[in-house]
Amino acid sequence: MNNKLKAKDFITIGLFTALLFVVEFACGMLGFIHPYIVASYVILIPLVGSIPMMLFYSKIDKFGMLTIMSVLMAIIMFVTGMGWLGAPLIIIAGLVADLIAKSGGYKSVKKTVLSHGVFCLWICANYFPVIVTADSYRQDLLDGGYSAEYCDNLFRAINSKTIAVLLILCFIFGIIGAYLGKAVVKKHFEKAGIV
Amino acid sequence: MDAGMDRSRTKLHLDPRTKLFMVFVVSVIVLMTATTPLTWALRIGITFVPLALLVAEGRVVSALRFGVLYAVALVLLRFFISAESTGLLMSLLIGYCAIVAQFMPVIIMAWYLIRTTQIGEFMSAMQKMHVPDGISISLAVVMRFFPTFKEEYAAIRDAMRMRGIMLGGGSIVKMVEYRMVPLLFSCVNIGDELSAAAITRGLGANVKRTSVIELKLTVTDKLLMLCFACLAALFVAAKYWKAL
Amino acid sequence: MIRIQNVTFQYKGSEQGGVRDISLSVHEGETILLCGSSGSGKTTVMRLINGLIPHYYKGELSGSVMVDGMDIGNTELYDLAGIVGTVFQNPRSQFFSVDTDGEIVFGPENIGLQPEEIRRRKDLVTEEMALSSLLNRSLFELSGGEKQRIACASVAALLPKNVLLDEPSSNLDWKAIGNLRRVIQRWKEQGKTILISEHRLWYVQDLVDRVLFIRNGQIEQEWSGTAFRAMDGAALQRMELRASTVEQNFSLTQHENRETNPTAGEICFKDFYFNYEKKQRLFHRKNTQNDPDGHLTLRVPDFCLRRGCVTGLIGSNGAGKTTLLRCICGLEKGCGGRIELNGQRYIGKKKLSLCYLVMQDVNHQLFTDSVEGEVLLSMDRQDSKAVSEILASLNLADYAGTHPMALSGGQKQRVAIASAMAAKAELLLFDEPTSGLDYVHMCSVAKLLRNLAEAGKTILVSTHDPELLSLCADDILHIEGGQITEHYDLNKDTIGKLGAFFTEQIG
Repeated sequence: MNNKLKAKDFITIGLFTALLFVVEFACGMLGFIHPYIVASYVILIPLVGSIPMMLFYSKIDKFGMLTIMSVLMAIIMFVTGMGWLGAPLIIIAGLVADLIAKSGGYKSVKKTVLSHGVFCLWICANYFPVIVTADSYRQDLLDGGYSAEYCDNLFRAINSKTIAVLLILCFIFGIIGAYLGKAVVKKHFEKAGIV
Repeated sequence: MDAGMDRSRTKLHLDPRTKLFMVFVVSVIVLMTATTPLTWALRIGITFVPLALLVAEGRVVSALRFGVLYAVALVLLRFFISAESTGLLMSLLIGYCAIVAQFMPVIIMAWYLIRTTQIGEFMSAMQKMHVPDGISISLAVVMRFFPTFKEEYAAIRDAMRMRGIMLGGGSIVKMVEYRMVPLLFSCVNIGDELSAAAITRGLGANVKRTSVIELKLTVTDKLLMLCFACLAALFVAAKYWKAL
Repeated sequence: MIRIQNVTFQYKGSEQGGVRDISLSVHEGETILLCGSSGSGKTTVMRLINGLIPHYYKGELSGSVMVDGMDIGNTELYDLAGIVGTVFQNPRSQFFSVDTDGEIVFGPENIGLQPEEIRRRKDLVTEEMALSSLLNRSLFELSGGEKQRIACASVAALLPKNVLLDEPSSNLDWKAIGNLRRVIQRWKEQGKTILISEHRLWYVQDLVDRVLFIRNGQIEQEWSGTAFRAMDGAALQRMELRASTVEQNFSLTQHENRETNPTAGEICFKDFYFNYEKKQRLFHRKNTQNDPDGHLTLRVPDFCLRRGCVTGLIGSNGAGKTTLLRCICGLEKGCGGRIELNGQRYIGKKKLSLCYLVMQDVNHQLFTDSVEGEVLLSMDRQDSKAVSEILASLNLADYAGTHPMALSGGQKQRVAIASAMAAKAELLLFDEPTSGLDYVHMCSVAKLLRNLAEAGKTILVSTHDPELLSLCADDILHIEGGQITEHYDLNKDTIGKLGAFFTEQIG
């Protein structure tokens, strides 16, 4: 079995990365209503994005596909102005997810679910710019004499304390999403014979 | 990315690498907060550059939309929201304006990059930057599918309207299912046909891909990059030296 | 020089579409036509030659395929890029780039040619195929025919000596087919070896040297080009092949004299004005209607269709056929037209309840995981008895529990129609229902449309398939430049008019 990534694999990776990005963008539209809803990314994206992701998982048969996808996500994040701070998180999460999937031979249900949970950590990279600024901004404002309440209002939901919570939520909803996504894939794609 | 942009229309033609560099610089700057008049001036100045570039490329409406949004957020933050503001509505407003004011510069810069770079140019730039072919191909596919998603989704949405299932019969799960599943079927199909057509035209060959577009960094490019680098250096200096 | 020797191939996991002990020799410079019904194995033969079998499609393969001295089974696909080029059926899914220039140079870039050489080839191909007006544009803006031309250019840029075309005219209108024909002619003059797999025979039959009829995975018959051209329409129909000459497209031999019930009534359409272009403004504003300056995409003040009849909608590309269908259906919010039926007016969203559009790509309108579910989706009140009846009338009773996406194209179409019937739509609209269909399936579509009409539905079919119209249309509605130019009954006297419209387009 040839384990080198071929052109067809790169095209598949590209397609599903695009799909994932569209899911992020659609959920992100809600974030335009208000940045606090941004905290809901960790719930929405793993759940909705699990459908294309589980379909992607059914097509993965080599190492590197998830890793490359995470590299692409990191590049897209940078190009769309979300910065590059999140890149290490995204790529490491992708690599670990890839290794987990590989250990299950790309067929094990439990490993796929676990892999997806880890992969979903990329979502928290969306918050990194705000977190970095939040802490330094908060400090600047306090130095400048603004009230603590003002600062709290400013960055209530997102600061370096909540990031741990957000990471855990990503992971948990990634797991839940994987089961849901798998159910949808079974209901449609397996039944139709595409998978 | 834009396809088939009329090159004769744009007076300014920047190398994609320059634009990437600018996005990089601005994304660093937005991570640091501006608290003194100088840093604020630098920050607003650096926002003006992409706005001006957008105008130079003929995208006045986008530039205006961004400009207005940014200005409103700044004005609200500076003059109308005091440190004593309380209440839910106020805190929501503060949060919104703060984030807009903080990140708008990089959003505009990124918008400029995406809207004024042809895919072919972008691919060529990546080749020059020694990005592996596989990743370039995947990125090209990502960009190639965005308009496809739009088309497919529009058709699916029409079908949903026709059958009266836009709201999924009241179920959010069904709303997502009715949109996502046909889209996936369609796109996977297109992906398969696309792959076959691409591979029979030599994609995946053992040689390194070339590009018909030959990029060169012009004087304008180098000047702009230098300018941005200096602005960034100035910003960092202004921020951290004053603190000392 | 292509040589297939005793090849047997079966797709992994499927018994359909393979070939059995097939042998074929194509000499350099020959132009060969492969014909036969869907699933006969034509596409498999193509894939054997261009290497997609065995490198892309897996299965059991025995025998050897040699092209220009290269053993296909042992040669990587990318090494074949400059030897065999393939133009596929679907213009919309075979392009990799977003812009035309990028697509033309895609092949040469893949094989690592130097920029000057790539430019030289691009200029060469652009000139040969007269593509300068299509350069520097987004592929998503082009029509199907224009996309197919770019696809041909993209293949030509690799300078292959052998070119395969797999049902390239499937989604094209007659003008585009005319263009395609000229491309093939050019390639023939250049001495390329060409294999064309087709259902529409009329546009290539005078270009080919040999014709191979494929059935059940074997070459059943072979004729020289001249012998094939001498065959008459009846013989072709016996082999279940479509019209092989332009004229055969317009024969009304199967058009029975139907009695159209004059008291069945009419559906009338009034005030359909629509403008496709939207200007970008600072803040969004709704489309304005009723622009008397002539910038409208659609300007249809008044026309009527007889109920219980099949009306064919024809027009050149961009004339407004699809726009009209969408406006009638109620899918275009900016269009304010109204439909009058039995004294009732249907405006705006109410049109949705009266009409049902079977789209060109039926995949967009299938949402559930079973055929039964699909039909139930259209019903307000779940009535399983009605569902069984509808499915039985469309030969889908055996597939009630099957996932719609597992069905064939024709079956999917019938599922969409079943949903339309369950939705109790009075007016059924069809957008290119016979794209890429072989003779047998085209006839079933024609029969289906006639059955629906006889059941009292009003049918409007937008198509550039005159064979379909000859088989089942009662009258013709001709639209040009967004306006209805003609509306006439289709019979022996007017078939000439229909023929003239289509033949003019070939150019």
